[in-house]
Amino acid sequence: MIDRANTSQLLKMTGISKSFSGVKVLSDVQFDLKAGEVHVLAGENGAGKSTLIKILAGVHTDYQGQIFLNSQPVRFASIHEAAAAGISVIHQELSLVPSMTIAENIFLGREKCRGPWLNKKEMTAEARKLLTEIGLDVDVTRNLGSYPLSIQQMVEICKALAFACRIIVMDEPTSALTDVEVEKLFTIVDKLRKSGRGIIYISHKMEEIYRIADRITVLRDGTFVGTATAEELDRGKMVKWMVGRELNQQFPRHKSLPGQVRLKVNSFTLPDPAGKPMPAVNDVSFSVRCGEILGIAGLQGSGNSELLNGIFGTYGSNTRGSCELDSRPYKPTTPANAISRGISLLTNDRKANGLVLGMNIVHNVTLAALKKFSPLGWLQPNSESKAAAEQKEALNLKAANLKMQVDSLSGGNQQKVVMAKWIETEPKVFLLDEPTRGVDVGAKHEIYELMNKWTSNGLAIILITSEMPELLAMSDRIIVMHRGSITAEFDSEQATQEKILHAAMGVQTN
Amino acid sequence: MIKEESSAKLTKLSSERWFTSPTARAFGALIIVFALGLLFNADGAFYKWGTHRDMLRAVSVYGILSCGMTLVIISGGIDLSVASILALTAVSFSLFTIHKGISTPITILACLVIGALCGMFSGAVIARFRIQPFIATLAMMVFARGMAKWVSGGQKISTAVQQSDGTYKYVNVPQIFNFINSKVLGDNITVVTLIFVVCLIISWILLVKLRYGRYLYAIGGNEEAARLSGVPVGWTKILAYGMSGLFCAVAGMCQAAQELQGDPEAGMSYELSAIAMVVIGGTSLQGGRGGIWLTLIGVLTIGYLEKILSINAIGEDKRLMLTAAIIIAAVLLQKGKK
Amino acid sequence: MTTCILKGRKMKRTISLLIITLLVGFIAIAGCSKKPANKEDKGTKAKLTIGMSQCNLGEPWRVQMNADVKMAADKHPEIKVVYKDAQNDTLKQRSQMEEFISAGVNLIIISPKEAAPLTPVVAQAFQKGIPVIVLDRRVLGDQYTCFIGADNKKIGKAAGKWIVEKLGGKGKVVELMGLMTSTPGQDRHSGFRDGIKDSALELIFEADMKWLEPDSRKEMESALARFDKIDLVYAHNDPGAHGAYLAAQAAGREKNIVFVGIDALPQEGQAYVKQGIMQASFEYPTGGKEAIELGLDILNGKKVEKEVTLSSRVFTKDNIDSGGQWLKD
Repeated sequence: MIDRANTSQLLKMTGISKSFSGVKVLSDVQFDLKAGEVHVLAGENGAGKSTLIKILAGVHTDYQGQIFLNSQPVRFASIHEAAAAGISVIHQELSLVPSMTIAENIFLGREKCRGPWLNKKEMTAEARKLLTEIGLDVDVTRNLGSYPLSIQQMVEICKALAFACRIIVMDEPTSALTDVEVEKLFTIVDKLRKSGRGIIYISHKMEEIYRIADRITVLRDGTFVGTATAEELDRGKMVKWMVGRELNQQFPRHKSLPGQVRLKVNSFTLPDPAGKPMPAVNDVSFSVRCGEILGIAGLQGSGNSELLNGIFGTYGSNTRGSCELDSRPYKPTTPANAISRGISLLTNDRKANGLVLGMNIVHNVTLAALKKFSPLGWLQPNSESKAAAEQKEALNLKAANLKMQVDSLSGGNQQKVVMAKWIETEPKVFLLDEPTRGVDVGAKHEIYELMNKWTSNGLAIILITSEMPELLAMSDRIIVMHRGSITAEFDSEQATQEKILHAAMGVQTN
Repeated sequence: MIKEESSAKLTKLSSERWFTSPTARAFGALIIVFALGLLFNADGAFYKWGTHRDMLRAVSVYGILSCGMTLVIISGGIDLSVASILALTAVSFSLFTIHKGISTPITILACLVIGALCGMFSGAVIARFRIQPFIATLAMMVFARGMAKWVSGGQKISTAVQQSDGTYKYVNVPQIFNFINSKVLGDNITVVTLIFVVCLIISWILLVKLRYGRYLYAIGGNEEAARLSGVPVGWTKILAYGMSGLFCAVAGMCQAAQELQGDPEAGMSYELSAIAMVVIGGTSLQGGRGGIWLTLIGVLTIGYLEKILSINAIGEDKRLMLTAAIIIAAVLLQKGKK
Repeated sequence: MTTCILKGRKMKRTISLLIITLLVGFIAIAGCSKKPANKEDKGTKAKLTIGMSQCNLGEPWRVQMNADVKMAADKHPEIKVVYKDAQNDTLKQRSQMEEFISAGVNLIIISPKEAAPLTPVVAQAFQKGIPVIVLDRRVLGDQYTCFIGADNKKIGKAAGKWIVEKLGGKGKVVELMGLMTSTPGQDRHSGFRDGIKDSALELIFEADMKWLEPDSRKEMESALARFDKIDLVYAHNDPGAHGAYLAAQAAGREKNIVFVGIDALPQEGQAYVKQGIMQASFEYPTGGKEAIELGLDILNGKKVEKEVTLSSRVFTKDNIDSGGQWLKD
């Protein structure tokens, strides 16, 4: 191990604050990195980790605070400046071109030239050298796309290495790797560490963090909680740092009396929609009753969102396992089929796939249940307007005129329109994926009240939310997922933030 | 706070609403063109009803193509094959009626089926294999044109029927051709124009009155949101292109009747005119917005423009430049403030 | 993020059905269609082979040219004609010529797309000892056996003179022009102007209808709207004249107007004259027949002229049944 006392400080960030449209996402955060160390950055979803990294990488140029690189103050005006300063970021989404060769990819954007001509010979030789350095034996002149994802990820790392970079940021690099490949990655990380570079490592996997970290920094809700060495900070303490917040009883969850089992899911498996080798959902079984709210907790990459989408039929019938709806078999095929069986899904991105922004409120509200409003295919605009008006009342939707286009509504009202749309389909199971994301406090509470009302009418709800307090307050039962599998199941009384986070980071509980 | 915001928006809407609406902007271009006509009226030719009736006749075939194009563009796609399907059905129509003497109702049905099948084929390729509409309909454009040339042997199919010894026998023009060419309502309007009006009405019903139309707008506006809301995206698209093919067939039969022949080279570049008419009317190429009456305005705008240039005997070179200028001006007028 | 594969079996089945229906439908139509007039001769073993290189078969006039070649060749069982269509692609026409050369045909007839790019390959054949007849469009230089073609300027002038005579030296005339960026259009225009220059004819309206019938009809409608009196319409091609006729007919004025066109294809211009739609159609001969006849002369060792200008006929109601009247030079 390198003597830490004598190592130089590569990076220091102090007083970092940033807001997006008035919402503060980082508040006076500090972070430092020494040469030859692996420094893990930990925190729940929405803690501010990726925003901090983006500021470091030059993606966000508008922030408060200071960054020092080798004790020199810097302020990057662009990604290129950050890269030129020796900061390399390896994102989860690879920035490689499958149709180019490995050598071309490594030198993408920074090709070696002799005058105006590309110096292919030098680049190929250099690429080969880099790959052998990290123990990878592949043909650098073959197209990248012909190699599996894990190799591609290694090449991404080589890209970082090719440019005399001092600081490497890795964001969840092992999510797509098998155990053998993970070991290879750790070997590379070790080599990098020994060569004096500094590595910022983001991970949600408990075991991984403790395997690789020299130091750990925890962020929570945009604030800096603390930094400690891996030896000093035990698992329990880290989790407490990540969740340790006051839980105010602001949530009006009524006591529920769940009835029959409405939806039963057995051994549900879903291959990764993006083509990664690991399935997104792996052998998941659970059930939810009428009138019950089942919360599914999970950090990024847990597969909870994919689970709900898989049940809804977003990915077609490319699933394994069996489901039962009211004791009758149900197979996900298409969203249209799910809707006809009484399953509705509120997606986590209303602008991308929840609303047709160019249409008005009435048309958005009736879209999923249009058959109801158009006997023999002939539209009945009056009945549509009537239904929309009723929904406006029921959901307390604030809009001057129902003929307004939905893109002129606030976030909370937009979310209500989407909910109205699904309620019009008279669902039996309502899948909610981050229903209060981007919604103001007032509207949030209204949504909670609505969830109460619906469940008291017998609706079964499955709820995904990254906000721990919301999850704990509104769920009757909670299951926790990590990388596609269920790691824990709790009743609402038994659940605590720490227990949930432990399970979300891969520790099998129960 | 939110309530205030919304009511402020509403006041703004009602006072400016009509003047900034897409319909008003489309009218703007038409009014300008019409005014040009009054100004440059070619010794009073513009004031005669005959001129307007002729303009309507000439523009009707393009207009029928534009009806189908409107449906397809609203769904977020484009159809480059309209002219070729027009040629294919023009040739088939002439072949069946003039050369084979098949009865009119069956011929019309057969031609409609040909057009619809071509369109549905493009639609199926787009929906099932996720091929871009531009590419898929480009392929159909080439294919249908080739079919038209093959079926007709490269020759125009007219009332001069070639016999086996090389001489020509002249048959009578079929009744249906004469009917389509005739004028009604006291010689004031041509049948072709009425057919165009019928196509407009059918398009209106599809887009505004039927659930199907709502699906088209939803898919054009946000295809993924539509799909996840249970809209049958695949079938809706196939039907949209099928309807476009159907309208092309109608246009092809009108074209053949007006020329008294089926010309495999018919309709060259008509697809560009159809697209221009839809776009000038205000329907967005991105999809999800627009309507059939906007297209009508676009059709009339270009129709009048061509007519005015024609009666004033403007040279070809100046014509091209002026037409381009008016198109740009019309589209800029469309932009305005949202 | 979502990669949805519409694997619905129902969808697959319906689409396959659609494809099959489409194919069956097309085959059915194809069965109904006419046989193209320029299919190759399937006959007994012929002694001499003639290669016919046509620049495109998109224009009906060129289809007629090939048909004329075939009709003339059919009369001589000792020759066989091989047809190649370059689909208006200069490079394709060049390779097809090269194919003729390596196949060692006895004679080549070529109607080239453009002069300069095809001159070398024509010269190559000529120098190899294969006689080459150039038809309708020229090549550069003199490395070919003979050129056969008609003169658009002459025809335009003849039309002009005929019109002057028909109208008694004065009247109001509309000229509907072919694509004025093409040589035939320019020649038929300048020839016409030359033919009427000493008369009192008034050209009241002229428009470029690009050889297309629907365009011609639109322009004629404008002319009719503008002018109460039109005596004659001179169109650069017969489809143009026909379109103008239809416009006049729709306005009820066709009986008061004389229609004159150029090309006189049997199923077009000649048919229109026969039916009384046009009063005169000037032949723009394809030269197909002459090419075969001259070709035979060459193959039989006779000497032929280097430049053969085709004569043209004018077809009017009076002479349509007797095969038209030859124009004096």
